[in-house]
Amino acid sequence: MIGSVFLETLKQTWKQMVYWGVGLSAMGLLVVIMVPLFNMQDMARLLESFPPVILAMIGVGKELEIFTTNEGFVAIGFFGKSALIFAVYPVVMGMRITANEEDSGTMDVLLSLPIERARVIVEKFLAYAVTCVGVVVLIYLGLHLGVIIGGVELDVARLLEVTFYLIPLMVFIMAATMLIAVLARRRTVALGIVTAFVIVSYMLQTIGLAAEGTVAEPIGAVSFLTYYNAGDILAQGFIWPHIAGFVILSGLLLLASLYRYDRRDIGV
Amino acid sequence: MMASDSVIEITGLSKTYGSGKNQTLALDRLDLSVLRGEIFGYLGPNGAGKTTTIRLLLDLIRPSAGSASIFGLDIRADSVEIRRRIGFFPAELSLWEGRTGDQIIHYVASVRGDTRSIAKHADELAERLDLDTTKRVRDLSSGNKRKLGLVIGMMHSPELLILDEPTGGLDPLVQQTFHTMMDEYRAKGKTVFLSSHVLSEVQAICDRVGILRDGELKAVESVEKITDVEFHWVDVGFRDAIPAGLQQTLEGMPSITDVSTNGARVRMRMIGDFDPLLRAIGAGYVESLHIEEPTLEDIFLAYYSGDKEN
Repeated sequence: MIGSVFLETLKQTWKQMVYWGVGLSAMGLLVVIMVPLFNMQDMARLLESFPPVILAMIGVGKELEIFTTNEGFVAIGFFGKSALIFAVYPVVMGMRITANEEDSGTMDVLLSLPIERARVIVEKFLAYAVTCVGVVVLIYLGLHLGVIIGGVELDVARLLEVTFYLIPLMVFIMAATMLIAVLARRRTVALGIVTAFVIVSYMLQTIGLAAEGTVAEPIGAVSFLTYYNAGDILAQGFIWPHIAGFVILSGLLLLASLYRYDRRDIGV
Repeated sequence: MMASDSVIEITGLSKTYGSGKNQTLALDRLDLSVLRGEIFGYLGPNGAGKTTTIRLLLDLIRPSAGSASIFGLDIRADSVEIRRRIGFFPAELSLWEGRTGDQIIHYVASVRGDTRSIAKHADELAERLDLDTTKRVRDLSSGNKRKLGLVIGMMHSPELLILDEPTGGLDPLVQQTFHTMMDEYRAKGKTVFLSSHVLSEVQAICDRVGILRDGELKAVESVEKITDVEFHWVDVGFRDAIPAGLQQTLEGMPSITDVSTNGARVRMRMIGDFDPLLRAIGAGYVESLHIEEPTLEDIFLAYYSGDKEN
């Protein structure tokens, strides 16, 4: 029956989705309710005193004024440096699409049933993408709760945009993880490669931000994290070309995974 | 071309793993037919290539050479249709640990597309195997996990059952129930392809046996013919001492070979009836008598060393 793997995947994952979502939203709530404790003028002076490389490491570019607003504080405190934390959930879910089930042997049971390999991958991918949306919704609820509890003045629409921008980012990371797992076959190898991929991307983004206005600036363009910059989103709203880029790349990674998985041995 | 009464038809099927110096030939040009309505025992020691054959038939792994068909359908091109009509039990069964038996049965049934009737049959099978399907898999004993695996493999009443070492870890009573179920399957004209390294199990339920060793099919025979080579290891313990001249007497008997002694015990390899042996040892006070089934390796050695003719 079409959708049975999708539904079962959701049933098996919803608790983890809630745990991750609640944990991250609690973190966001904490950052939001801390906003009134800071004087943004002091914040501006503090940021100006940082060397570019330190600013780059916390995800801040040249446009410092954005980060001296309440929204900017949340962007730095939660979305900026937390990009790596947001990468963990989609990596875990991406590993589950094929690698974990192959390692445990449950993929043998599943693929002994009348179901195409491609359908298994697509349904699991969609289910985990839905859980990414669930995590993001919970994160937003946490932030919004922070606004209410702390009585913080925040542009809720911008906050919503920054938060929901996480969805294409997370889906992209999940798709990349899935392809790496399909290619590497062994879970431990795949996990090592994915971890290296995310860390190298973070380093390249940092170099790109730190080297703004120099010949080294384009290095940052190679990193996918460059296309999720909370400061840019606060300044410009949804950056549709970036979102389209994430969606198209995710689709290509999914197609590549389907192609390769259909042609290789399972669990060997 | 597939013989009209063949369910599984395998031609020149080979599988190698790895590449270069690490290349391993797991299955070497296998030719095999399994007939409709028979229980076919696929016998071989661990590592012989039994599981590789089964995983090839299920399209979990891809052949390096050769081809195979099930129900006249190609195992690659028509694998989904084939899997609709077969049931499978893997040797190393792994199920979703956090789910209950009922949830897994419902999941598998929903993928098969017929939840209601399959679940009903699953209940009947679970009852027969004395399985509590309300428990989570992680809370089941290994024997009960295997029962659940059997339920999942059989609950849609498949035309062909492919079972890889199905009874390991099951208690004797459940094994007996399983044997009865296999007899019922055969009576309904269905086919079973059963991989095992346990000779007694194959003897108990199979019609024909294929012997696989080091990736090569050594023989396909009826169970009766295979067991023609059967012998026993007999260990006799005397209360006081081995009676004088017994060893020579035993060594002179055509049905007995490999006689060895250890204190008051004598061990031998015996083919055929027990009566000559019992008469020969009657001179002493027999304290214990152990009769061991030959191991699969013994059978192989006997089968290929010419003992079959003896």
